[in-house]
Amino acid sequence: MSSKLTLGIVGVAAALIIGLAVILVVVAGGGGDKKDTSATTGSGTPAASATKAGADFGGKAASGELRLRGEDPLFLDPAVAQDAGSAVYIVEIFSGLVRLDKDLKIQPDVAESWDASADGKTLTFHLNKKATFQDGRPVTTDDIKYSFERALSPDTGSVTSENFLGDIVGAKEVSRGRSKVISGLKVIDDSTLSITLDAAKPYFLYKLAYPTAFIVDRRQIEANPKRWTQKPNGTGPYKLKEWKLGEKITLEAYDNHHLGAPKLKTVRYDLTGGSSLVAYEDGDIDITGIGLDDLDRIQDPADKLHKEYTQTPRQSIDYLGFNTNVPPFDDPLVRQAFALAVDRKKIAEVVLKGAIPVATGILAPGVPGYSADDKTYPFDPQKAKDLLAQSKYAGKLPEITLAESGAGATVGPTTEAIVQFWKDNLGVDVKIQQAESGTFFQDIDNGRYQMFHLGWIMDYPDPEDVLDILFYSKSKQNNTRYNNPAIDAKLEAARTEADTEKRLTIYQDVEKQLIKDAVWVPMFFDTTHALVKPYVKGFEFPPVIIERFRDVEVTR
Amino acid sequence: MDGLAGYILRRLLFLPLTLLVVSFATFYITRWGPGDPVSVYSGQYRDEEAFARVRHRYGLDKPVIEQYGIYVQRLVLHGDFGVSFRFRDRSIPDVIGPKIWVSARLGVYAFILTFLIGIPAGVFAAVKQGSWLDPFVISVFLFFQSIPVLVMVPVLVLVFAAKLHWLPPGGFDGVFSTSMILPTVALSLPGIAGVARLARATTLGTLNEDFVRTARAKGLDEMTIMTRHIARNSLVPVMTTVIGLSLVGLIEGALFTETLLGIPGIGRFMFESVNGRDYNVILAVVLMGTTAFVFANLLVDLALIVIDPRVRAGRGAR
Repeated sequence: MSSKLTLGIVGVAAALIIGLAVILVVVAGGGGDKKDTSATTGSGTPAASATKAGADFGGKAASGELRLRGEDPLFLDPAVAQDAGSAVYIVEIFSGLVRLDKDLKIQPDVAESWDASADGKTLTFHLNKKATFQDGRPVTTDDIKYSFERALSPDTGSVTSENFLGDIVGAKEVSRGRSKVISGLKVIDDSTLSITLDAAKPYFLYKLAYPTAFIVDRRQIEANPKRWTQKPNGTGPYKLKEWKLGEKITLEAYDNHHLGAPKLKTVRYDLTGGSSLVAYEDGDIDITGIGLDDLDRIQDPADKLHKEYTQTPRQSIDYLGFNTNVPPFDDPLVRQAFALAVDRKKIAEVVLKGAIPVATGILAPGVPGYSADDKTYPFDPQKAKDLLAQSKYAGKLPEITLAESGAGATVGPTTEAIVQFWKDNLGVDVKIQQAESGTFFQDIDNGRYQMFHLGWIMDYPDPEDVLDILFYSKSKQNNTRYNNPAIDAKLEAARTEADTEKRLTIYQDVEKQLIKDAVWVPMFFDTTHALVKPYVKGFEFPPVIIERFRDVEVTR
Repeated sequence: MDGLAGYILRRLLFLPLTLLVVSFATFYITRWGPGDPVSVYSGQYRDEEAFARVRHRYGLDKPVIEQYGIYVQRLVLHGDFGVSFRFRDRSIPDVIGPKIWVSARLGVYAFILTFLIGIPAGVFAAVKQGSWLDPFVISVFLFFQSIPVLVMVPVLVLVFAAKLHWLPPGGFDGVFSTSMILPTVALSLPGIAGVARLARATTLGTLNEDFVRTARAKGLDEMTIMTRHIARNSLVPVMTTVIGLSLVGLIEGALFTETLLGIPGIGRFMFESVNGRDYNVILAVVLMGTTAFVFANLLVDLALIVIDPRVRAGRGAR
């Protein structure tokens, strides 16, 4: 009797669990896991495991396969996606008329060559006749026209298309729904196309190398408008062979690529998460980034991993921005005092363990116009005090709050250090307000802050991408509300200056002026710290997101 | 069985009403908060005019009540949960299905482990009442309960993965792999004390019942008394109060455990979706959770009828 009852209880419990599982499957629409069905034991205890972590990758070590950790891209539509997580895949699968090489110079891609009209406003592109989509169909100028018009169309829902294609005459008519065709884009024949700009802008070619201007396949999109990005047909060097949400992504070389077959056959991304450094040490992946906590150990020449360590600058900058419209930061003296009172070198050494360099200006290393000499305010607490005393808010500073993006639980040690410097050297108690990114960005858009801590990642290596976009008074992204007619005039002149040297001189001048006026306190530039297995040859971390697998060789 | 079928039907009739109230509240609250999916998704590109065009494209500029009407209509007529703003090329069940599946399997493990340890521990403590073993057993589990998950998970990783190298530090390699051990332990440890204490209390209650004394007097062996007379009666309250709620906990997933151990489950995903203002995903998960909650409670009540003869008898007599 008793055993029957025990059985009954177990049975009910089992029924409960199975019942719930059934509901879940029905409600959630399934979602299987191959490994699950392949397992033979059904005991339900974790100890029954037979599969070892990484067993998936171990055996078939064919040469020419690179194994990485990755994350699910959100959306592989180049016209819409703008997050770095999607872009790293998009730049391999798709391509544009032109591309950036490893030195960030413009090189031919789908366009073989191009020439500019005498006034510099019209660019005529000649397509590479060998250029094909990954299904073998040749790329024609109609595809370019379709891709650009689609990117701009309000139906596509892109927030970046006007930013990257808006310089073309008639592009804004399309993005605002007043026209279907870009009047400034003319198809001359199957392989010739001309693009007319609203002004001769030397940096426009950089914009064409950005995903928004990449080429998509009209036939595929029209056949499957909602789901085409799950198996996109691009013009890039790698095909998306497989994508299992949350599990893996496999990229495979497109051998008939117009720029030559890629050397590396396969790139496998493990999307399951977990510590990537441990996976690297176990030999499950070939490349890993390094977190701040592990950096000390790996930078030590005695460490066994040190030989595999590499660091590369990234084109981005971390800064403190002031709202130049509201007290007390409408007074440049207060801004300068706050800039002078922070010892950035000390923060970089002590808090950040030297992982990233102190910013020497606004333009990051590698951006044309960058120079290594320090243009920023030095750490000078005495001068900071003096300037604050001379300001119109001397002795009557309002309450000051520094806004930053964050989860709200703890303030980062960098921010804590910055605030401490102000307290020690200026005697000012600055409050910190953390908001998660949704709220934070909305507050910045609406100017509801006095001072904020933020970063800027360069989209293309031209000073215009930071100076004009963030400091031109009429720019939509002018988040400091800076309004200086002299700077505006210089920025306008630089846009169409044909002489590169002169152009960069203008930007350097603007940069100096902005720092002197303390619109920003440039804090740090960024660096990628990584480990690369010795059998991976030719892999480099580019300073902006561009394709990076074509020339890699894996001789494992 | 007629009465039982009617009972189930009555319970289920409330489900659509519950879903309507819950969905409206969620719909309204998500849109009420600061930020919106377009603004969040756009990262460093701040162009209010472009945002407005994209909002219009996705109908986010309509009055909330109108948006809700469209949502309900699409859901009821076409089974369409709307578009996930972050994963724009996938249907919402496609996106969250695998995440719930991961969390649910992890949850079932944790659930089984909790009861496998909790109930025997509670019964053991009850039987040993008066000896030092009773408070000792309960205290050990209370100790684990009082450690926050945020502390416990890193410690477990440090000891078993980083130092001893017995287990992988995180990730998810399917349910029959060693990567399931740490999260299962981390998820069950805090719950064991609750189950054990409840099992202890109810067992103590039944130990002094007349029928137990009678059974002893009849000379039945101790094992039969434990399983047949004590367990049967003391397990009922444990089932009712704890299991129903734990079951729902399973699908809600575990935010911290999943995030810290890199498990692609629904807890971690919900957190990302809230941060990304992915309205339709949040709503879909809440609706599924509500449905599961209603069904879990119904199942528990039905299980009670099967287990406890008194409940069965009471219904029959009515």
